[in-house]
Amino acid sequence: MALPLKSTLFLLFLILVSNIFAPIISFGSSIDQEREEFYEELLLRPLPDRKVLAHFHFQSTAPPSNSNGRHHHLFPKAISQLVQKFQIKEMELSFTQGRWNYEKWGGFDPISSNNAKPPGVELWAVFDVPQDQVDASWRNLTHTLSGLFCASINFLESSTMYSAPQWSFRPATGNIRYGMLPREAVCTENLTPWLKLLPCRDKAGISALMDRPSIYRSFYHSQRLHLISNKSGPEGMNPGIVLEQVLTVVLQPNSQRTGMTFSGEKNVQPSWSLSSIFGRKVSGKCVLAKSSNVYLQLERALVAKLKKNKNKGADNIASEGFWSETGFELSVRPDRVFEEENNSHRKDSSVLFEFSVDKYSDSQPFDLGLTWKFPVIWSCKPAPLHASRFLMGSGNERGAIAILLKSADLHDASLGTCSSSDGYKFRVDVFQVVPWYVKVYYHTLQLYVNGQPKAVGDVIEKIHVSPSKDKISPGVMEMVLQFPCDVKSAVLTLEFDKGFLHIDEYPPDANQGFDIPSAAISFPNFYTSLFFPGNGSVDKSPVLMKFQEKNPVLSYTEVLLVPLTTPDFSMPYNVITITCTVFALYFGSLLNVLRRRVNEEERLLKSKAGKTTRLSRLLSKLSAKLRRKPQETPETPSNSSSFISSKLLLKIFLVAVLAVAWQYYFE
Amino acid sequence: MAEISEPVNPADPTSEISKTHQAPPQVPASYFDPETMRTTKPGLKRLFLTVSVLLSFLLGFPFLWKSVEIYRSPLPFEDMDTLSKEIESNPLQFPCQFQAIFIDSNPQSSFSVLNPHYLHQSILSQMTKLTPKTPQCGTCSSNFNLSVTLDFIGGDCTQSFPGNPSCLYKCGTIPAVDFDFGDEEGVDDVLESVLGDRCSGFGGKMYSVVVVNRDDVQVVRTVVGKYRHSWIVGRHLEAETVVERVAEIFVNVFVNGGREEGLIHGEFMPVGSDGRIVLSFNLLNANPRDWIYDWDFQTIDETLLPPVIEALEPIANISVESQVLYHTPKSSFSSWDEKLGSYVFSVKDLPFFVNSNEWHLDTSIAAGGRSKILQFVVYVPSAKECPLLLRLPDGQISATNGFITPMWGGVMVWNPSTCLKDSEDKLPGRHMISTQDLHKVFEVFMGQFRQLFDLKSDSIYVGAYGDYNLLTSEIGFTEWELDVLSRKHTCFNVHSSATTLGSLSRLVQSLPRMIIMDEIGKQVKFSLESAKLAQLNSTIGVYDASAVSSRHARSLAEDAFFHPSIMSVSYYSFEHCFAVYSPFFLPVAMHVLLAALREWKRYKQENAKYLLWKAKVKVAS
Repeated sequence: MALPLKSTLFLLFLILVSNIFAPIISFGSSIDQEREEFYEELLLRPLPDRKVLAHFHFQSTAPPSNSNGRHHHLFPKAISQLVQKFQIKEMELSFTQGRWNYEKWGGFDPISSNNAKPPGVELWAVFDVPQDQVDASWRNLTHTLSGLFCASINFLESSTMYSAPQWSFRPATGNIRYGMLPREAVCTENLTPWLKLLPCRDKAGISALMDRPSIYRSFYHSQRLHLISNKSGPEGMNPGIVLEQVLTVVLQPNSQRTGMTFSGEKNVQPSWSLSSIFGRKVSGKCVLAKSSNVYLQLERALVAKLKKNKNKGADNIASEGFWSETGFELSVRPDRVFEEENNSHRKDSSVLFEFSVDKYSDSQPFDLGLTWKFPVIWSCKPAPLHASRFLMGSGNERGAIAILLKSADLHDASLGTCSSSDGYKFRVDVFQVVPWYVKVYYHTLQLYVNGQPKAVGDVIEKIHVSPSKDKISPGVMEMVLQFPCDVKSAVLTLEFDKGFLHIDEYPPDANQGFDIPSAAISFPNFYTSLFFPGNGSVDKSPVLMKFQEKNPVLSYTEVLLVPLTTPDFSMPYNVITITCTVFALYFGSLLNVLRRRVNEEERLLKSKAGKTTRLSRLLSKLSAKLRRKPQETPETPSNSSSFISSKLLLKIFLVAVLAVAWQYYFE
Repeated sequence: MAEISEPVNPADPTSEISKTHQAPPQVPASYFDPETMRTTKPGLKRLFLTVSVLLSFLLGFPFLWKSVEIYRSPLPFEDMDTLSKEIESNPLQFPCQFQAIFIDSNPQSSFSVLNPHYLHQSILSQMTKLTPKTPQCGTCSSNFNLSVTLDFIGGDCTQSFPGNPSCLYKCGTIPAVDFDFGDEEGVDDVLESVLGDRCSGFGGKMYSVVVVNRDDVQVVRTVVGKYRHSWIVGRHLEAETVVERVAEIFVNVFVNGGREEGLIHGEFMPVGSDGRIVLSFNLLNANPRDWIYDWDFQTIDETLLPPVIEALEPIANISVESQVLYHTPKSSFSSWDEKLGSYVFSVKDLPFFVNSNEWHLDTSIAAGGRSKILQFVVYVPSAKECPLLLRLPDGQISATNGFITPMWGGVMVWNPSTCLKDSEDKLPGRHMISTQDLHKVFEVFMGQFRQLFDLKSDSIYVGAYGDYNLLTSEIGFTEWELDVLSRKHTCFNVHSSATTLGSLSRLVQSLPRMIIMDEIGKQVKFSLESAKLAQLNSTIGVYDASAVSSRHARSLAEDAFFHPSIMSVSYYSFEHCFAVYSPFFLPVAMHVLLAALREWKRYKQENAKYLLWKAKVKVAS
């Protein structure tokens, strides 16, 4: 027992050392960190439209090892084997239901630009393999993930479904593949395998809050898995892996009447607690987690509003007692309060309350509640330009895609990078993938800035287009746009023709239309970064570390639904049948005509005329009556060939008319 | 066109009416009956036309048939069927070589009257008595060589049946006099140095029993070593009992591996069809709130497992992985036993021990599709049920505290040294399972692993004619056990590949519209070749090589059978084909056939008329 004790002491020392240098060294160089670690965190944030954002963040790390990823203590074996087998450098998989409301829920903070995802499944991966093996790795990866997460990710295997963005989606990566399934339905069968990757699953800790009905009743939920393997270890070692599992949910709390009534009843934010929005409480942390915290974040605008309401001189928000004196009340006393450190927004900065779950247990569960005392109205900071995308044109032949970027009226002129000194500095990156059956004509790209048409070359700084190939690859468009600082609105339009699919390629619900995946619009001049100074805490929590990262603002547009011409699927058979019938009739008549003996028939008729029986006479009479013609005497047979052919033509015509009528009435 | 051309064609039979009155003058008009006779030869034009159309249709039909045909790679159906029949009727038999060496230092002892040929005969008859009548697959029922040597130290040395002289024991090389039979390991090693590796390769491995008659030992002791030797040592050994024992060692221990028949059948060979095994070791903490145990499995993987994996190389390709799981309660309850002071789980509840809802042991991504994953589970019970013991049906407590499930793996309950919770309020600390405990756990694993391969782990084999001590090897498997395994495995693999190929051939032949890719054809071909090679190797007695090639045969056969494309039965079925083509071909074929028939009939009729007229004319003239 002495040996392990000693090694743990040594370890402790190492951890301490590495933590001292933590701000300098990124997570990549933590070779001496020997242990696999797990963190669990939950961030809650009231949203302006009476909703609550819950952001679960779980992080597992595996240090570099020489065991080929075969022995694990906390880290999920499946993920490590996945990384090992497909040589993944970085990968992100998200399952999303609903659409992130960029206008109301914000578009300028780390959560919206990192965790707001397009509906359905989005997968991208960077491989550490030679260029020619990337596609094979991708295909195998999609199949494995589809088995792992019980989803039809394997549809991304086909080369028409994925693309290789050059630079706009993620900068400076060559071996990246990107695919999206906008119509994938997300449900518990995807969440359960995702939870299985956590050491405590949903048995203990913060993840115990994940009540399936509450989550799937939400307005938006996005379940994300992001992993990075860092090859910084010594040669021969397997890379360390950082696995982030994030679940972002937007929930509508049931409004609890507080007893007080206000004139603006509508504007009163609903009071909520964990048990009221999830129906469960947190009974202690997951014992395997290194840290287990719940955060409550108040946005800058909200804090500013609250301060105004308070009408008091003291503006040290982080100080004790602030939360009780302002417009809301917390049922649990926070362990720590952070105030955002931000140079440009000195006057209003975001506030973060930290609650540690460590000290709670079954008998004393953690149930954070927030009660509003006064009505508060605020709005989240939107993205610099609000991006939306729509279809133009009508009919089943052609149309146009328009991307509309509208200025969000950032009245505080905080676009620091867009200084007035140089006019064109507002940079927007657009990344769009279009399936091959929507044949986009890239030369028809038109740009309107503030309603005025602009030459394409004036605004586009860089463009990369790889046109779609029928049934081989989708069309990819990557653009860098430079707008003047005072841009109010900008529109991009692209015309397209709708292609025809082979009858086998139509999905079962072809009449519903086809989806064009979301376009990703990013603003590289604007970074989301929230820095909360650690109040003497030794190690920062992963959520706060994530907030600190300087990521460009990113937003996704809507998924477009393009109705394509859907054929009548029984048509081939109808065509076959009618053409065959016509051919058969023609062929048969031709053969009959060829072997006809006109003279002989005449002779026979003549000879018959003498000795017609009663029956035959009756028959001829009947036929004559049917034809409504006076009975022809057999003595006057028509001997012209033209008559026969016209009769034949008539017959054919009659049959054709019959067939058409049949087709028409019995459809 | 035809109508227009008619009036200008005087030879045409249709225009005959106009010519009837121009009948040749030599025939009286009264002779000519226009109903039954005609004066001109009937024309062939229309007949030719209709028949040529019919013929062109008939000729075109094979082309059409060919064009709608689906691609099927030609499979060697005959070979596949013969292989499966051959394996059914004639199970694989391996050649074995046995030698019995009788050593005696005392020329006046009971052995002195013996004759090696007589001994040879009696051992042979005893062995045939012990071998089952029906030939068992993977054994050497009657396919063996036996040689007997009588070696009187310092005296003469007689031998019988030198099958292969190079394999034969060289007289006087065993210094039996100097043996210290107390040190069995030592004796085993000396015997290996003298007898081992005598004849490599062909004819099977040589198994020997050394019978030593010594005066300085008290009891008769029989030991089976960890190589391919066994020895019987005793005082005043009776020839009869010795012969019985020797035969039993040969047949029941060396050939059958010391197991009872039908314990675990060949179908339960825990090797994946691609010849791989993944050993997945799992440490389950039932409730981590009580305590968390962790292990250092990597050192086990680095030190103890490699020799085992190497030893089993010809049988399977083994890879190892491990994980620790938490919050994994078992799915059935245990009861408190006051007397034992522990919780007891009775064996009849074992089916409810493994909790497949909570134990997400998982298949391995690293392993390919058809590898066999053997799960070995160490279960750390929660404080509520600690210590947890397993009770056997006879009321005793299981010594290993574990159990196996054939083809799945094994479970072992490991109780922490003290069942006291760390402390009520504080969070549980992480403990490491100590190295000694881990070694014990590993021993149990090895036992379970052997059991999954249908090998016993007792140190004594109780035979009909006595008890035999079995020496254990540090790698877990003795050499003769490995021989048994590879023979059994070869047999199982060849059998499996033969049945798979047989089923494939039946399936393919029963579904005529199934697409068969070239790759399947190739796999079948290679599988057949490997199976043939395995058969050949087994007949000449190269165990390892035959195990390897039989593994290939099986994996290729399974690959062919489970090839993804084999499921794609063509949607273009025969019914579909019929539905598409019948609207055209059915009416057209009717027309063409009827026209040809009518024309033929008419031609015959008209020709008869003409012939009649001809005859009349002849008569008249």
